[in-house]
Amino acid sequence: MIEMLDSAWVIARRDFIASVHSRSFIFFMLTPLFVVLFSALIGFVSARSAANEVPVVAVTAESATTEALMEARGHLVALTSERAFPALRPISPAENVRVQARTLIADREANYSAVFSGTLEQPLLSGPERIDEFVGSRMALILEQAQRSEALRLAAPAIRLPSLQRDVTGEAAGNLRDVRHGVARFGQFVIFFFTLLLSTMLLSNLIEEKSNKVIEVLAAAVSLDAIFFGKLLAMLAVSLLGIALWGAMFGFATAFSVQLLPEGYELPPVSPAIGWPIYSILLLIYYTTNYMLMGSLFLGIGGQANSVREVQTLNMPITFLQMGVFVLSMVVVGARGGVLPIVAYVFPFSSPLAMIAEAGQSEKLWPHLLAIPWQALWVFLLIRISSAMFRKTVLKSGGEVQFMPRFSRRPHQS
Amino acid sequence: MQGGPAIEARGLVKSFDGKEAVRGIDLAVPEGAIYGILGPNGAGKTTTLRMLLGIIEPDSGRRTLLGYERPLEAAKIVGYMPEERGLYPAMTTREAIAFMGALRGLPLEVGRKRAAILLEQNGLGDYVDKPIKSLSKGMAQTIQLFGTIVHKPKLVVLDEPFSGLDAINQGRLEHLIRDEAAAGTTIIFSTHVIHHAERLCERIAIIAGGKIHFEGLVAEARDRLRPQVRLRTRSAEGGWRAALPADAALIEGVWQFELPIAGVEPLLKALIDGGAGIEELSIERRGLHDAFVQIAGEAAARQMAEAARADLETAE
Repeated sequence: MIEMLDSAWVIARRDFIASVHSRSFIFFMLTPLFVVLFSALIGFVSARSAANEVPVVAVTAESATTEALMEARGHLVALTSERAFPALRPISPAENVRVQARTLIADREANYSAVFSGTLEQPLLSGPERIDEFVGSRMALILEQAQRSEALRLAAPAIRLPSLQRDVTGEAAGNLRDVRHGVARFGQFVIFFFTLLLSTMLLSNLIEEKSNKVIEVLAAAVSLDAIFFGKLLAMLAVSLLGIALWGAMFGFATAFSVQLLPEGYELPPVSPAIGWPIYSILLLIYYTTNYMLMGSLFLGIGGQANSVREVQTLNMPITFLQMGVFVLSMVVVGARGGVLPIVAYVFPFSSPLAMIAEAGQSEKLWPHLLAIPWQALWVFLLIRISSAMFRKTVLKSGGEVQFMPRFSRRPHQS
Repeated sequence: MQGGPAIEARGLVKSFDGKEAVRGIDLAVPEGAIYGILGPNGAGKTTTLRMLLGIIEPDSGRRTLLGYERPLEAAKIVGYMPEERGLYPAMTTREAIAFMGALRGLPLEVGRKRAAILLEQNGLGDYVDKPIKSLSKGMAQTIQLFGTIVHKPKLVVLDEPFSGLDAINQGRLEHLIRDEAAAGTTIIFSTHVIHHAERLCERIAIIAGGKIHFEGLVAEARDRLRPQVRLRTRSAEGGWRAALPADAALIEGVWQFELPIAGVEPLLKALIDGGAGIEELSIERRGLHDAFVQIAGEAAARQMAEAARADLETAE
């Protein structure tokens, strides 16, 4: 076993140095930057299109009515969001408002969804027979708010309603639950994202050895298990190096951002159920097991490929597989019993993601003490299966496929 | 491992996709020998070597490598250079050699030092920090050989080591093999070039169609053929003709035939007494090529010769 680890170390060391010394590693290190830029771009574009997507209602009413509606909308938007209500655009009323409404509705430049006319007492909403349900219902709310405000103002001009008093208590269980669910999802996403980003590299990892025929030299000197394990270790080390550097950059950026917060501003308390120190260790462990599980599977599948083209073809189903596993693991967040969460905890590929969520929402440590050896066992088995498959189909070696290693080293004296 | 054969194989069988590539191979390579496996392309040489080294498992049969039934357990004391050379192109020569040593348990630092010495001793000192991709094919092959022996193995297995090398590099490789053998290393190599085996080996196995047709000393292989007699006489006819064997052939004025079992003396006496007028008489021991033809057949020999010629053309 020690010899196997020694051999794996030699392979890992070579692969690690080859990966880190390559020019492409610089681009690899920039990947999160691309992701951030890409996300920002998507956010910007969708924010713009979302703003443009709010339906607009023309208001052809007297100025008092228009102001009352605008004020009511402003009040409601403050309680919800800008996108929760249609935008109102005041238009000077014509002599015949019904004709004006038809003209406005038909105007393809202005793109009005409906036209409001009349007064608060005699309101009229003009629009197609099948008026947008959102526009209809939200205009009714705006009108109702305007009517109430107007009625209150007329009934008691001097009245001041009492404001809500605060009684400060400890953290609410409901908030804590939401925070922990948030932490659970965060942990899952971090592991999923980095594994998705980094483990597919393992698909093409054996192509180099197969194309330059080094595999024969390696296979004659060390066990295939050692080759596979060494390659996994190397790529894990590369990914951890990347994560450490990205993490450091993120840490600096966060620390800098905190400095920019206004004086006296307190960040909301965010803590996983199990506590940050243990959670951080578990995050690292589950990332490692998740990477090793997915990696050994991808290494095994990629080992069967003969060219980069075949690897590229495999990439998409592999990505969907990862996404499927991620979706399965998401069911454990906030779950109270049921079969699916148990499947997510036990199924080897979803287990790390499910267990990090568990660490976010439960303070129990013992499930992790069971889960980690369970996941490690599957890493071991997957490496054995992958190397046995490689021996059988790529090296065309017959003989029995052994999933458990033999440790005897006694020479046979012939 | 004391005194036993470095390699012993019994009844090795291997099929690929239902086709038998090796059909029951038996061989024993004595410790310290230079042992050649001769055969045309597709004879089963590489498959045999790969089975001996444990890269592939035989369908049936047994083998021991330096006493180990599981070849990988002997990996630290074995060196192997495959037919299809495999080096990482971006590695420097020193790192490539040290890496191959490290795979076989040699500490990297020691490997680097030995690599520098090996390169220096063989006139390649200037290439210590050059990447493999900048070397010629022959030079890269030499680097691979250094990587094969850097950990000072007890057994070196070379699959078609001369393939793709020009005459100068072939000579250099022969020299290296002799040096290793002189240091006590057992060398086994496969080749389809008979004269390499003839020059280097004490023992050979002749393999064709997945079977070993001969296994033993090179001298024994040659001795399976009677020596060749070449005779030129002044007289064309005479009673002496009766002393020649029935299969004697006159080729461009020279009689050629196998030395009769009775020996040279009765022949000489008959020639002199019969007034043949001997102008030239030579008795030549037959070469390995002739032995190969006799053992493996004319077709296999022709295939070998063609492959060797193609090799040389590629190298040059």
